[in-house]
Amino acid sequence: MWAKCTGDSVLVILEPKLQKDSFSKFFSGLEEKGYELTFRSPKDVKPAVIEYDEAKFSHVILFAPESKSFAQDVTPQSLVTLLSKHTNLLIALSPRQTPFTSLAAEFSLTLPPPGTPLISHFPTRNEPATVIPVSVAPSDILSPGLSPVWFSGVPFAYQNNPLLVPILNAPAESFASDSESDLGADALVDATDKGGEGLWAGSQLGLVAGFQALGGARATWVGGVELFSDEFFQKDLPGGGKPGNEQFASDVAAWTFQESLALRIDRVEHHRVNETVPGQTYTTNDQVVFTAYISRFNPVKSTWEPYSGIEDLQLEFTMLDPHIRTALPPVRGAPGKYSVTFRAPDRHGVFKFIIDYKRKGLTHLHSSTVVPLVPPRHDGYPRFLSAAWPYYVGAISTSVGFLLFSALWLAGDDRASAKKSTKTE
Amino acid sequence: MAPSKPSQTAQSSAVLSLWKAYNENTSSRLKTVDAFLVFLMLSGVAQFLYCVLITNFPFNAFLAGFASCVGQFVLTASLRAQVNPQNRSEFKEVSPERAFADFALGSIVLHFFVYNFLG
Repeated sequence: MWAKCTGDSVLVILEPKLQKDSFSKFFSGLEEKGYELTFRSPKDVKPAVIEYDEAKFSHVILFAPESKSFAQDVTPQSLVTLLSKHTNLLIALSPRQTPFTSLAAEFSLTLPPPGTPLISHFPTRNEPATVIPVSVAPSDILSPGLSPVWFSGVPFAYQNNPLLVPILNAPAESFASDSESDLGADALVDATDKGGEGLWAGSQLGLVAGFQALGGARATWVGGVELFSDEFFQKDLPGGGKPGNEQFASDVAAWTFQESLALRIDRVEHHRVNETVPGQTYTTNDQVVFTAYISRFNPVKSTWEPYSGIEDLQLEFTMLDPHIRTALPPVRGAPGKYSVTFRAPDRHGVFKFIIDYKRKGLTHLHSSTVVPLVPPRHDGYPRFLSAAWPYYVGAISTSVGFLLFSALWLAGDDRASAKKSTKTE
Repeated sequence: MAPSKPSQTAQSSAVLSLWKAYNENTSSRLKTVDAFLVFLMLSGVAQFLYCVLITNFPFNAFLAGFASCVGQFVLTASLRAQVNPQNRSEFKEVSPERAFADFALGSIVLHFFVYNFLG
């Protein structure tokens, strides 16, 4: 895991209005996992996130949802740069418009107009309408069987982007509105009548969304920072019982910091059947064995462990187009090993073994190995085929005929010349 | 078959007289050459028919076999032209011995190529 390789350093940009103590459980949970937290307010110049063109922290938590001005090194551009330097981001938003509101659009998240938090009047509870218990849909990222979590903040709409990973969606009866009173109800009804134009409501709105950049870094957007607060960790749910906030926050952080669902290809091997050394070249129609070893990060032990749980892995054997696309199934009894045997196509050229495994939430796996595929050598063909015997017989008979003819010619020389001489005389 | 009797008799008599003249006026040596030529032609035709009607695989074997027939035919025909006493005026400087040596050398080179290409 990159995070563990590059260090466990986390920079927390916390705005002064938010007390560090009010997030003590979340932060101490991270420290228990072995992360080193460094705190800094948005306007502090030090420590810089990028120094000498190098990311100084493995992860950045941006809990400054209402700050409008930041130090020079924290800009939307610098955050994108951080992502390309494999730094993971956890960014909290709020109904207020900040420089990062427009950055969300770059991650294919559309925010409602400023000042419109998520509101839900259901279920009946003592809390204000903006503090909402949200039931958690099961997801690979989250622990199974989580209780509903308290949420307060802004929702966003997902655009069509395959890199987005929805983590938490709004309740079906919730909506975004600029007023807590029922005065806004007419506007909502109007919007519904217009076919949903300008309507921010329903379970298609996102509250927490992950985004996995092409380089593998992960950015998680959270609609409200209170989700991580001690208050919400402890606030009882309307029906009684503890909320799932603490575990949810821990799971979201684990995914964002590439602890969970982090995969990697340790190595790939390829060779002919019944051989062990990789072929320098392969011949058309060879039987080729391709093997990949895949590991998954185990956050408990902080180690990579062989992982055989991928059932839909595919291998492509490509020259411009995949000439062969085949399943790459896990090998029973060999953890982490995926292997397939296939016949190389009857086509020579420069081919690639390609594994390209992209699934939402999982680290994208990509591996490409170039091998030349050559036609058989001059002695690699079958020879003296039965179908060609007429031709062989034809050639041999011509030679025999030639020898026979030469013998006759030479033997008949005397007699013929004698005849000729008698004729001419 | 010829349409009418007189022309048929004329035709057959023409063929007969040709055959007779050939038998009488051709030396046994040229007859040997002609027999070899006929054999080569039939062999080539047989291979060509096999290629067209049954299979041209492996094609290199067909090319080798067929080319050996054609090449040997050309060489033999050249030999025949050079040793024919009637062509003596054309090939004054080429003795029959020299012609046969050329033919033999050419054939050996041809067969060398054919067997290289055959397998």
